[in-house]
Amino acid sequence: MIAKDNRVIKIFHGPQHPGITGNMSVELDLVGETIQKARTHVGYLHRGFEKLIERRTIIQAFTIVCRICVPEPDPNEENFARAIEGLAGIEISHRAKYIRVMVLEMARVAAQMLWMGGQSGSVGLGTVAQWSIYDRDLILDLFEELTGGRVYHMYIYPGGVRRELPDGFLERLGKVLDHIEEKMPQYDALFFENSTFKKRAIGVGIIDKDLALKEGLVGQALRGCGIKRDVRKDNPYLVYDELDFDIPTFEGCDVYARAMVRRAEIKESVKILRQVIQKMPKEGEIMQKIPKHRKFKIPKDDILVSTESARGEFNYYMAGDGTEKIRRMQVKGPSLIHGFTLLEKLLVNEELSNVAMIMNSLGICPPEIER
Amino acid sequence: MIKILKQHYEIEEKSRRLFKIHIKKEEFLKTLNFIGLNSNFITLSQITCTDWIEDEVFTLNYILTTEQRDKNLMIALSIPREGKESKLPTLLYLFPQAEVMERDLHEMYGIEFIGNKTLFDFALENWNTTPPLRREFDTLAYVNEQFDFRKGREDNRDVKVETKRRRAEAKKLKAKKEVKK
Repeated sequence: MIAKDNRVIKIFHGPQHPGITGNMSVELDLVGETIQKARTHVGYLHRGFEKLIERRTIIQAFTIVCRICVPEPDPNEENFARAIEGLAGIEISHRAKYIRVMVLEMARVAAQMLWMGGQSGSVGLGTVAQWSIYDRDLILDLFEELTGGRVYHMYIYPGGVRRELPDGFLERLGKVLDHIEEKMPQYDALFFENSTFKKRAIGVGIIDKDLALKEGLVGQALRGCGIKRDVRKDNPYLVYDELDFDIPTFEGCDVYARAMVRRAEIKESVKILRQVIQKMPKEGEIMQKIPKHRKFKIPKDDILVSTESARGEFNYYMAGDGTEKIRRMQVKGPSLIHGFTLLEKLLVNEELSNVAMIMNSLGICPPEIER
Repeated sequence: MIKILKQHYEIEEKSRRLFKIHIKKEEFLKTLNFIGLNSNFITLSQITCTDWIEDEVFTLNYILTTEQRDKNLMIALSIPREGKESKLPTLLYLFPQAEVMERDLHEMYGIEFIGNKTLFDFALENWNTTPPLRREFDTLAYVNEQFDFRKGREDNRDVKVETKRRRAEAKKLKAKKEVKK
């Protein structure tokens, strides 16, 4: 739309734009190519999960939670399971904890590979996506073998995990990790050290470091400002406190810094997975005895649980009322603040051509906003 | 830090890193200001709401996180579901991220946040009936009232009835075959 003064142009970036990170739209006021104002619109994928869950038993709700964020279902499963376990007082076995860490780290690597495809596509480097999606598929193959599903796994359940590891699974996981490690220098040459990407990404989408913590930013948005925050270290869960890994940070606060943090995080996840292969107990129940599904009553209490997803801290608030149904489950992923408060601010004075790149760098997943 | 807060509030320790304070609505701003200025719970990470329709209240939790992100504090308060007393002041002046959280709660529960001027559509569009996360909102009734079946689905049958019919047919067929034998 062209305004009366023929100067400000209003356009909608998305929800069908190829550079958009999902079903959302950003309303942009432009003067020339420069953005004057940005407003986020969501609601194109509102499925009412939080409402649906209030009417379902645990096993019925369990099939929904993984769908809250399509590229990253596992942190949702973990949060859901840990919240129920916390309310019901269930302690899972050491072996189940290791298996969950394995699943979560595999999911992190897969999510970073998918991000790499999107981020490179936003600057016109299409080849990277072909490689990274292939490598992600190698992990999805493992997920399929372990859980029966490639994208939605429905594997982490209150009380543990649903299935024992298939024979030779850890060896096959090791081979995939070898392959990813071998591939990383090629990704460096093609993407992370690529002069096109550097020219486009350095100095773009700069976050105000002084406000980053107070305004509730998480994940790479924080670590790309040199601020070391990660739930796995700050508020450890499962067996993360038994594992040796670093929280990579990068100075710069821009798109490039966030990309380099992600690159380092793939390396750290591989390191964690190798330790899991070494340290995972050979014996132990994978699932604790829990009440029968229709008789599983959730105590009247509430809880908050957090998991570090590939894009940052993922919170679940859950309240029970003594019945078999969850009274309230409220999801808060990284995208709520990144997609609104932060994105609307970051886009001002940026070029139109940088919108997709900035959005990708923040790891925005619209389904988790409108859940 | 928790020790300092314990001098002023009754704190429930839900776990080693999760604490909860129950306050009255009248103490809301005073408490938030006090904690914001005197503790390292500097980030508002979430505002949650639970509808206790049987008690006619909404219970809200303002979840604050420390600068180190190692502890969470839930500040819980209940407000009436209807009427003048159901309004709350906005927290925009303390936390810019409250804007989107309050917008979300306004849309899903109908809670008014005094001072927040952006309480317009969030995920829904032109919603003019009961806010959907209120317990009295009936999703199925809403869908049946608002939407029609697509053309070509007029033969849409109840799954349970159809399953019964098919089983009965299969039984008949089996019986016929046995008679022939």
